Amino acid sequence: MKIDITEHNGAKVFSLSGDIDLYSSPALRKELIFFIGEKVPLLLVDFRDVSYIDSSGIATLVEGLRGMMSHGGKMKLFGIPERIVEIFAFSKLDKVFDICGSLDDAVKD
Amino acid sequence: MGEKPTEISGEVLKGMEKKVEALKMLMDLSSVISSTLDFSELIPIVMEKAKAVMEAEACSILLYNKDANRLEFEVALCEEGPTSELLKKQVTLEMGQGIAGWVAQNLRPLVIPDVGSDKRFYGDADKLTGFTTKSIIAVPLIGRGGLIGVAEVINHKKDYDMEIFQLLCRQFAIAIENSLFHKESLERERMKQELDIASAIQKSFLPASPVFRKGNLIVSAKNISAAKVGGDIYDFVEPAEGRVGVLIGDVSGKGVSAAIYMAKVSSDFRYIACLADSPSTALDRLNISLAGAPRGMFLTGIYMIVDTSTGNCHVSVAGHPPFLWLSDSTVRVMSVPAGPPVGIVPSEYPSASFRLNKGDRLILLTDGLFDAKNRDGQRLGFDAVVKLVTEHLHEEQLIERLVDFADDFSGGGDRADDLTIVELKWGA
Repeated sequence: MKIDITEHNGAKVFSLSGDIDLYSSPALRKELIFFIGEKVPLLLVDFRDVSYIDSSGIATLVEGLRGMMSHGGKMKLFGIPERIVEIFAFSKLDKVFDICGSLDDAVKD
Repeated sequence: MGEKPTEISGEVLKGMEKKVEALKMLMDLSSVISSTLDFSELIPIVMEKAKAVMEAEACSILLYNKDANRLEFEVALCEEGPTSELLKKQVTLEMGQGIAGWVAQNLRPLVIPDVGSDKRFYGDADKLTGFTTKSIIAVPLIGRGGLIGVAEVINHKKDYDMEIFQLLCRQFAIAIENSLFHKESLERERMKQELDIASAIQKSFLPASPVFRKGNLIVSAKNISAAKVGGDIYDFVEPAEGRVGVLIGDVSGKGVSAAIYMAKVSSDFRYIACLADSPSTALDRLNISLAGAPRGMFLTGIYMIVDTSTGNCHVSVAGHPPFLWLSDSTVRVMSVPAGPPVGIVPSEYPSASFRLNKGDRLILLTDGLFDAKNRDGQRLGFDAVVKLVTEHLHEEQLIERLVDFADDFSGGGDRADDLTIVELKWGA
């Protein structure tokens, strides 16, 4: 997994690529915890290049979401590929995460 | 006429005798240091020998901590006795810091006849121990895997033999590296035994038998962990007379943390399931009891209560993959209304009902089955599982068929995730 972190209209954008699993999620967790500590108001996670996510990866995002909410921040996911939409649909994660189609949609509200 | 014998001066002879003496000591030392693999026994032997060879007042060994990228005092001996505990707790050096740090960074020995005139000298160790360092010889200890540490002799005699000391240090490095490997292998063995015990304890959280019969219902389960311990769970309970509750679940993550969380899930579930008359109530309560788990951990699961006299099923799903309903000629993928995984957000779980007919089967599974990965990195996928079940609709040993299918697809590689399949047969 690779993580590219950029800024877009005041939001931090985490562009992830590859597999987010037991082995790669600690690196994501480290970055999330850093920016939660910085109390960033909006954190957007770009899934367009993610090939797979397992439950460890989802748990890392859940922890990130909780961390963001603890200081009143928001975390949104966008650009989720079809293969991963299936995992999210099974897992009913749309009831947990704010999921948007594109970066523009994610920034809008 | 014989040749005139070469005369050897007394000085040369003395030098040769010293060399022979030193080489003899090296041979002795090699047998001593190869006699133990115990790190704590080895280090004092090494230090005493170093001190004796160099006729030094003190010596120390600093080991390289790869993770911290620092040098740490392992042992320090001086004439007044060991000061290692004092240094061990309080003094560590960065790479490049002090004489030892310089030697570690440059992987070259260093001889400092007068530390007072060398800016690299780091005096904090002296302040702490009350010892006065005048001169230092520091040699890097380099093993097969790179830097191990630095050996220092302090206030040595003037007439020292650097060549012999470096040879000595090479022996030290090999001996220390061997003892560190030994220490690691003992630690690995200890961890393996701990995991064996943990695995046995975890298995005890699952039902004693993987097959459960009640009235017209037969429930069978197969659970295979990817590691010694896993995060999948299944359970059979009897919440009331004539009713059987069947749970399948998958805890996020893998390994020890998932196993411990699974143990909590198991005990909370058994307590809750006995008091809850519907699957939705049970999941609502489990969601409350598992809320706020560390590291975002959660449980996906299906909880189903079957009436053993009528075949009526009530089911609630928490973010878990669909289950399959196999009847005489069809396989239905049962995506019933569901809530999110348990333990993440407050939720009320919906429930669905249906009635089993004679000969019907239900297959509940975890994602370890359809997330099986082949050597090209492709995943089996849920649809392939449905296709296989459809093709083998009437096969008795369907669970084994599915496990073999995933294993064949993976090509015998290591299992990446825990795998659990629960089958319910009605009226068999």
